[in-house]
Amino acid sequence: MLFNSIAFAIFFPAVTAIFYLLSQRWRVHWLLAASCFFYMAFIPAYILILVVTILIDYVAGIYLERVQDPKKKKVLMWVSILSTCMVLFIFKYFDFFTGSFVGLAGIFGWHLPRPVISIILPIGLSFHTFQSLSYVVEVYRGRQKAERNFVVYATYVMFFPQLVAGPIERPQNLLHQFREWHAFHSTDVTSGLKRMAWGFFKKLVIADRLALYVNDVYSAPQNFNGLQVTMATLFFAYQIYCDFSGYSDIAIGAAQVLGFRLMENFKTPYYSLSISEFWQRWHISLSTWFRDYVYVPLGGNRVSKGQHIMNLLLTFSVSGLWHGANWTYVLWGLLNGLYLVTGRLTKDWRNRFYGSLGLHEHTLTRKAIMLSTTFVLTWMAWIVFRARSIGDAAYVFTHLATGWDFQHIATQQFLLRQLPVAAAAILALEIGQLLNSAVSVPSFVGKMPIAARWALYASFVMSVLMFGVYKQMQFIYFQF
Amino acid sequence: MRKEGSFDRVFSQNASTVSAELPSLDSEEEKSITEEKAAVMAEQWKTLQRIGCFFGILVVLAFVMNAIITSGLRRIKTSAFGASNQIMNGKVNAEIVVTGSSRALAHYDPRTIEQITGRTAFNLGRNGAQTDMQVAFLKAYLAYNRKPKVVVHNLDAFTFVTTREVYDPAKYAPYLYDRSLYNALREIDPNIWRSRYVPLYGYVVEDMNFSWILGLKGFWGWSPREDCFLGFNPRSKKWTDDFRHLKANNPGGVRFEIEAAGIEVMEDLIRVCQQNGIELIFVYSPEYIEMQALTKNRADIFEHFHELAERFDVPLWDYSSWKYAGNQDFFQNSQHLNATGAAVFSDDVANHLTAYFAAQSNAAGLRRFPAQGP
Repeated sequence: MLFNSIAFAIFFPAVTAIFYLLSQRWRVHWLLAASCFFYMAFIPAYILILVVTILIDYVAGIYLERVQDPKKKKVLMWVSILSTCMVLFIFKYFDFFTGSFVGLAGIFGWHLPRPVISIILPIGLSFHTFQSLSYVVEVYRGRQKAERNFVVYATYVMFFPQLVAGPIERPQNLLHQFREWHAFHSTDVTSGLKRMAWGFFKKLVIADRLALYVNDVYSAPQNFNGLQVTMATLFFAYQIYCDFSGYSDIAIGAAQVLGFRLMENFKTPYYSLSISEFWQRWHISLSTWFRDYVYVPLGGNRVSKGQHIMNLLLTFSVSGLWHGANWTYVLWGLLNGLYLVTGRLTKDWRNRFYGSLGLHEHTLTRKAIMLSTTFVLTWMAWIVFRARSIGDAAYVFTHLATGWDFQHIATQQFLLRQLPVAAAAILALEIGQLLNSAVSVPSFVGKMPIAARWALYASFVMSVLMFGVYKQMQFIYFQF
Repeated sequence: MRKEGSFDRVFSQNASTVSAELPSLDSEEEKSITEEKAAVMAEQWKTLQRIGCFFGILVVLAFVMNAIITSGLRRIKTSAFGASNQIMNGKVNAEIVVTGSSRALAHYDPRTIEQITGRTAFNLGRNGAQTDMQVAFLKAYLAYNRKPKVVVHNLDAFTFVTTREVYDPAKYAPYLYDRSLYNALREIDPNIWRSRYVPLYGYVVEDMNFSWILGLKGFWGWSPREDCFLGFNPRSKKWTDDFRHLKANNPGGVRFEIEAAGIEVMEDLIRVCQQNGIELIFVYSPEYIEMQALTKNRADIFEHFHELAERFDVPLWDYSSWKYAGNQDFFQNSQHLNATGAAVFSDDVANHLTAYFAAQSNAAGLRRFPAQGP
């Protein structure tokens, strides 16, 4: 079930109303049932995959707590991790790895038949797999008690607001919340609804409108001029941000309406002054996951310089692969890793350079340069991320600044009349974010007289309704 | 996160759960707890009422906006909406009516036809409409206007392909009260009821062109620039790359389906005209010559056109070999003439009609007028 569907508009109020009417004993059962219904709206049979991973990690958690021998404990953890990852591998990466292997063998003259499993990727598989894995590792490390109540554990993995696209929660933050009583708090409910409205604005008004342009151009960039390719790439930077952070806003808001707190996933990442900062503000639940469960166990930065660089590149490559079974994603991850490595290696040199120009750390000009550089670097990396193939990405890179034709801006799906709406929506987003960084907009609006406040809310909702795109576009991150 | 056992938690629980968990209290404490509990519940109820009220206002707003937009679009006097309004308000009443797809819309200039034939004319061509939608629109026309003497129905290579989805549905949204139009749309899209009954659905969910803004402007008396002359929408464009892409993407040529349902719709069109005593003429308007070669089953399609024409005694004028069919200066793409091409073609077809009417009056009963090469 998509958040931006009529089905969800009926589902969510019904689930919320019944949730608050039930006694504590039945609430978690109700959330689990609702989450199953939510997930089965995509492909019902795929619930079995979830059941398998949930069972594996539920049992593993209990045994991990029981077993005292560290060696056995470690073996148990790895068995659990590998079993969970096997599901991910079969559904998501089998075709990719066999295809790559056969391709590589072909280079050496071995022409092997390519085994293919043509199955649809279960929605949100990477998300709930990672959430399950974090539970197993945390139990292994002794930082989380094993959950004995199967219903509670299953709800932790399947909690519908964040089931298919995160935030990827940690058991320490979410699991205990299913045992707590969530009273109906007007502030939670109204704040949650406002957060959802903001998420819908990002998704429906910005991301889905820009997607019309981006999809047209990136489906065959060779058919478009340099200006269109450049615009599509710029649009994609906003599309992916608004799509994914919009989803997170809706997820966090929906959970808040039910009285749950999910972790923040985005903190205005395009305002970052460095790539390192960008990754502290972009998809925080995933980047911290990789930090805690891949980068740090590899040794992090407490190793030799060479090993540290390798750790960074490896972590980012795996992170790229997590996003999709395609070399473009691996390259995107690697590129970000290279950005980080280069950033760290040249830090002193850059400081000296800025110093020689009289641009000290807190000067506005220096910040503007750093912000622009970070945005451009991220923007360039999105080309690799969005392109269908490395060949397409190379084409886009080489045609960004060539053959600009201002007579041909529109595409088949995105007519010129949509451009002012898209531009105004992006501007509104930036103003909203800037305002929110200066003052808390919700509390500012909350102090207004009720008539003005309601007029503002109603105008906002009506604007989302009137300027939204409702072509039932999936959230980009659903595929990951 | 709120802690278990807090007042907040206790007061918000169901009464049965609360009473089971509370230790015994003296009457003063009990009274105070009951009062606080009542206050919290009152606050919660107030919140629910507010949320309900807010969403209620939104629903009312949506209905009001929908009514304003529909009314505004129906007031527009120019452009495609203006043409549709004239039709649905019964203000056309032309003697010659042209029906068809976007090819009809862009090829037949009723002003030229009126000037040359001396009879009033109107173009009912619709962008993205297949024959099923074209017939539905003709029926709507007939319901509100005097019956025309002649219907010139423009044929396309895709005439026998039925509509898969409603193209530009907002163009129909203000007129869904018309039963035949609504039923035809429902055949294509069973969810069209949403556009009729769910406020704003037809304008914001189904439409990507912000027609609702036109509606709001129309409500205050504003009409867009006229680009629809008696229903005719000329395309002032030069030859585009569309055909080159089409050819590159289909090196083996293209085929258009001949669906049984498509043939039935054509028969329905003929039946409607015959029942209303309207003379029907089939015209295959010019198509770029290279496209004709690219269409692999063109002979089959034309065989069906001829079979229908002969079976129902309908004249068929084929402009495939039009004098400028190979000249890109007269086309926008393989299917559509540009404004220059449309002007020349309208002139040709109007002269053809004049000659046809003259022949008819000279020799009553002469139905088979020789297909005239351009």
